Amino acid sequence: MTSWPPLLVLFVLTPLVGAVLTPAVSDASGRRSWEWALGTMLLTSAMAGALIMRVLDEGPFSYVVGGWVAPYGIELRFDEFSAFVAVVCLLGLLAVIFSRHYARDALAPGRIPYYYTLLLLNMTGMIGFIVTGDLFNLYVFMEILSLSAYALVAISGEKTAEMAAFKYLVMGAVSSLSILFGVGLLYALTGSLNMADVTGRLAGSAEAPLVLAFAALTLGFMVKSALFPLHIWLPDAHAIAPSPVSAVLSGLVVKVGILGMLRVYQIAYGSGAIDLSGLNLMLTWLGAISIVMGAFFAVFQDDIKMMLAYSTISNIGYIVMGLGLASPYSLIGASVHVFNHALIKATLFLGAGALIHQTGRRTLTGLAGVGRSMPLTTAAVSIGAISIVGIPPTAGFLCKWYIALGAMQAGEPLFAVALVFGALLIFVYYIRMVNAFYFRKPQEAGAPAVHEAPATMLVPVLILAALCLVMGVLGRLPLSFIEPAVTRLLAPLGGG
Amino acid sequence: MIDLLWDNLDYAASMVLFCIGLYAVITRNNLIKKFMGLNIMETAIFAFIVALGVVDGGNAPIMGEGAAKPFINPLPQALILTGIVVAVSTTALALSLVIRIWRQCGTIEADELREAE
Repeated sequence: MTSWPPLLVLFVLTPLVGAVLTPAVSDASGRRSWEWALGTMLLTSAMAGALIMRVLDEGPFSYVVGGWVAPYGIELRFDEFSAFVAVVCLLGLLAVIFSRHYARDALAPGRIPYYYTLLLLNMTGMIGFIVTGDLFNLYVFMEILSLSAYALVAISGEKTAEMAAFKYLVMGAVSSLSILFGVGLLYALTGSLNMADVTGRLAGSAEAPLVLAFAALTLGFMVKSALFPLHIWLPDAHAIAPSPVSAVLSGLVVKVGILGMLRVYQIAYGSGAIDLSGLNLMLTWLGAISIVMGAFFAVFQDDIKMMLAYSTISNIGYIVMGLGLASPYSLIGASVHVFNHALIKATLFLGAGALIHQTGRRTLTGLAGVGRSMPLTTAAVSIGAISIVGIPPTAGFLCKWYIALGAMQAGEPLFAVALVFGALLIFVYYIRMVNAFYFRKPQEAGAPAVHEAPATMLVPVLILAALCLVMGVLGRLPLSFIEPAVTRLLAPLGGG
Repeated sequence: MIDLLWDNLDYAASMVLFCIGLYAVITRNNLIKKFMGLNIMETAIFAFIVALGVVDGGNAPIMGEGAAKPFINPLPQALILTGIVVAVSTTALALSLVIRIWRQCGTIEADELREAE
């Protein structure tokens, strides 16, 4: 079963078909759409499990779509970086479960089936983006992902939601065009769109168009991942969206830029046609600035979701800095932080969503003293917050440790200092949050008694919080899993 | 320099078009004009990629009688068909967002919207 070849293409098609059929399956008031979306996500997750087992067994493998052999046809490729689909499926599944009660209260009934359609389409785009081996397909899946994300931001119907979505759309569309331009240039240089084939043919191309191509790709992916100073769309969009959507956007959608950069690096390092040290230096600096600025802005937010949105910018900074340092340790740390940050940020956003849903308040002042009435949710959010600071033994610690080690390895201890400084700032807002939850009195004496969220909201939050701890304790597992991929990536640079 | 520009007039034109679009996206206040700028940018990129496939004096790559080399490259055109579909869906989504913004706020000028927030 695990080596059955068409599984890889079915893996992309299942959520797509599920998405398109959701409005047909459910009735006008949105009944049955939740069950349908849940079933689709369960099936997709099972496939992800089987595919990851296979990559563990035999390393990277690919599937040729329609019998047209690469480089002429479209190739789907699954390697160690593709194992990110595990987190994609897990978060997708939990976001769907979480949405059961949330969507019913937050959205108009007529919109519920379309909400699940968009969520599943988003998953399709994500999965397709991760497993495709073809540059143009990469663009198409990225657009499926982005378009559904813009619509999901707007779906909440809040007053500023459409404006946030429009801002996101304009930035997103410009960055997509930049990426398409880069893909076009690579095609012009090599006459091929298959990534492995492009890598093989790039050597000896003219330098100027090559630099332009990589610059356009990097610029596009940096906007997608909201790296400072191209982050301005992120806080509004992520704070306004419904909470399960925020979790997916912050945990997964911004990672598209990072995974795209990893693909670009695979091409650039593999072909050896271009020296990326200038780009790396820029990414390292922008990453360091992102860490500090994101954390700095987060400290001053009173709105809990706004705070989490800024902390995403800071964490993207960690990952990009890890990529830019380009030493084995920092790359391993960055790749694993892509996984772990997704888990942590989903814990935080879903937990915050549960708090907001139950209390009707979204500011830290308004949420004062909530730890007494909703102990489980606040405990989960606190675990998420510890992880994001990077205190052992939680998931955030190991990756940041590895990135710091990588900075030392690359001979740039200054960036390790930036990393620690960012973590200190993050610690400040963590303290603010815990202080508000546990140590302050509820503001109004006559506030309605709140209690824990329904099980469909509580259980995903608790599962994610538990995973934050488990990933901290079993940290070796993802590290050793990603290591061969990083070694292969850096091999052309001469041992690394 | 001029010769180089003249030989690559198609690429130069799409770059100019791209910059015009980017200028409109950045400077225009009206959301629809902003989006028209984005459409111009899209067109510029599409024109650039289609121009990649052109061969001087080339024929359409269709088999049958009268098929003679050199053929032009059909792949970029096929890609851009997909690209146009993406661009149309983006436009549809953006316009529907603009309609909803107008219904909610009564204006689609970016500066007035900022004040309303």
